[in-house]
Amino acid sequence: MDPITFSIIRHRLFRIVDEAVITLKHVSGSAITNEGHDLMVSLYRADGSLLMGGVGFLHHLTSAAEACKATIRRFGDDIAEGDVFLLNDPYTAALHTSDIYLVAPIHYRGELVAWSACFVHVYDIGATNPGGFCPDAPDIFTEGFSSPGIRLVSGGRVNQDVMDTLLNMVRSPEMVALDMSSMIACNNVARERMLALIEKYGHETVDEACRTLIEQSETLLRERLRELPDGSWRSRQYIDVNGEVFKVNLTMTKRDDGLVFDFSGSSPQAPHAINCTKWASLGGLFAPLFPLLCYDITWNEGVVRPIEMIAPEGSIVNCTRPAPVSVATVGAIQSVNNAACAAIGKMLDASEKYAGEATAVWHANHFAVFMFGRNQHGGEAIGILTETFAGSGGARNFADGIDVGGEIPNPISRMANVETLETIFPLRYLFRRRMTDSGGPGRYRGGAGMEIGLTPHDAPDGGLHYVVSGKGADFPMSEGLAGGYPGAPNSYIWVKNNEAGTDPRNADAGFGQSVDDLPGEQERISWGVFPLMGDDVLYLRWNGGGGYGDPLDREPGSVLEDCRAGVVSRETAARVYGVAIDEDLAAFDAAATEARRRALAAARVPAEAAE
Amino acid sequence: MSRRVSSTLEIDGGEIRCRKCGHALGPKGAPWKHAAAMTEIPMRGAAGIPYSGGERVVLRRFACPGCGALLDSETALPEDPFLDDVLFD
Repeated sequence: MDPITFSIIRHRLFRIVDEAVITLKHVSGSAITNEGHDLMVSLYRADGSLLMGGVGFLHHLTSAAEACKATIRRFGDDIAEGDVFLLNDPYTAALHTSDIYLVAPIHYRGELVAWSACFVHVYDIGATNPGGFCPDAPDIFTEGFSSPGIRLVSGGRVNQDVMDTLLNMVRSPEMVALDMSSMIACNNVARERMLALIEKYGHETVDEACRTLIEQSETLLRERLRELPDGSWRSRQYIDVNGEVFKVNLTMTKRDDGLVFDFSGSSPQAPHAINCTKWASLGGLFAPLFPLLCYDITWNEGVVRPIEMIAPEGSIVNCTRPAPVSVATVGAIQSVNNAACAAIGKMLDASEKYAGEATAVWHANHFAVFMFGRNQHGGEAIGILTETFAGSGGARNFADGIDVGGEIPNPISRMANVETLETIFPLRYLFRRRMTDSGGPGRYRGGAGMEIGLTPHDAPDGGLHYVVSGKGADFPMSEGLAGGYPGAPNSYIWVKNNEAGTDPRNADAGFGQSVDDLPGEQERISWGVFPLMGDDVLYLRWNGGGGYGDPLDREPGSVLEDCRAGVVSRETAARVYGVAIDEDLAAFDAAATEARRRALAAARVPAEAAE
Repeated sequence: MSRRVSSTLEIDGGEIRCRKCGHALGPKGAPWKHAAAMTEIPMRGAAGIPYSGGERVVLRRFACPGCGALLDSETALPEDPFLDDVLFD
């Protein structure tokens, strides 16, 4: 077709998704949506296949396609103009029950021509724990409301009986109602703009452009794959839950213009809510694939076609009902994200042409703490600490990872201001800052993560509670690349300051500026529901990005700058980077550094190996 | 003419070699890690205080036996196999 018209239509499709995202954020009143950007909006073809992937958490792009297809299968010819369907069953298409899909058919002159779909992590879903993450859920039946497909809006009118039934099963129904409104509004905007596009250019022209766009994406990705070397690359992720260890194993094989992600050898499904379903795994591998291999290719069905996934049934990456999955998005799905990112990074690093696109694993472990309780305004506050979205960049083969630099699976993730969170929750931040030595060492350093300390403040009930789904305290998950070290693991510490009134260290009102300054017994926690009462403190630290290349090859001057910035300690500079830096961080000793590096390199080679 | 395997390895003369010193690590198309000098260090404390993970977790470092250059690394439990990557012909 005319390339100018094609380009205009393609660009308009981008803008439709963008405007729908803006609508979603403006209507939603939930920090997880409009601050953390735990959301997604995309457009789909009439058959439910992905047409234009939007931003937000990218593992939803293919899962929402399956939600559209499941809706078509369930409702068949009974899909009318102005309908909106709700689907959040993980065994049908969704990732976990908290991430509700609203999928809406778009009709033009009575004919179904497209779908829009969106999700937000709703304020509550009526699970055993507020906010929806249920670390101790034994099965999906305790993980809240779950629908394989229900009509929420009929012909433009909300089915109030359905809406009221949903709202009757959740905490803070007014906030969940706002979540629903935001998604209905989002789909309305997408439909209106899509219809305006069709009105302007005609249905046949737009349809041809959409078909061409998908073919173009497939062609471009297959061409790219042919340019990359054939081979197989392996990666492995460990998930630790209360001392038990589960594995996600991946062998990624590339031949010609096809790519196979084989998760054989992964652990059997777990008794914990870290499992994920096959749709979630598929979405999980696409989340890094879209930005790493298709950064200049439209994300649609054409990108999906060259990819095959093998996920053994009954495993942690393809669990069977009724296995619990409420923590999946920060459990097995995120490990699939990480494993795919690591394998794709290695494949890119094997290519002269594409090595510049290679990256170590970015922020690989959401700490996912959901706070809940009565707040200083007298209301019930439920919500995630949005710092979990702040992330940290993985190092690349030409640059350091970005400190607190986001994450691969969500290009627009971010954290709220301290003040925003202190307004929502009866909390006071003692500190929030980059964490020294958290970025994986390498020739290029992984981006630093952060550490925060929280204590109750102005809490009518003396504090509040929180749900922590903190796998990954034992294992680093942001793997390095080409010799780079992984980023440091997460840490969760409950500082029990029961003796606040009598501990002499509290004489100056206890505004401790490091976890070591905080009085009270420290308990490492990672899994379950815990109180944060009185003068207790919750200390959280999240992982840095993986490093790239040999730390001994890092420019000594860069290591010195890292030390001055507080991102790398002087001890690590000496012990891992081999850089001798004087005590006042004024300079490094070039001769001592060279000698130290020679010694460290020699120590890597046992005598028998060197012979 | 050499062929890239990664930023640390290449194939030259039918052998996988260290890109820094040319040390051979086995034939192309085969796993190379068993030919590398491997040191396992506890992950705990591997690169500073935040490396505070599980006691059994190790950082495997695969170095060139010829020059000590770090070729690859991986997080592992001691009993788990190497993550072998292979380039096909």
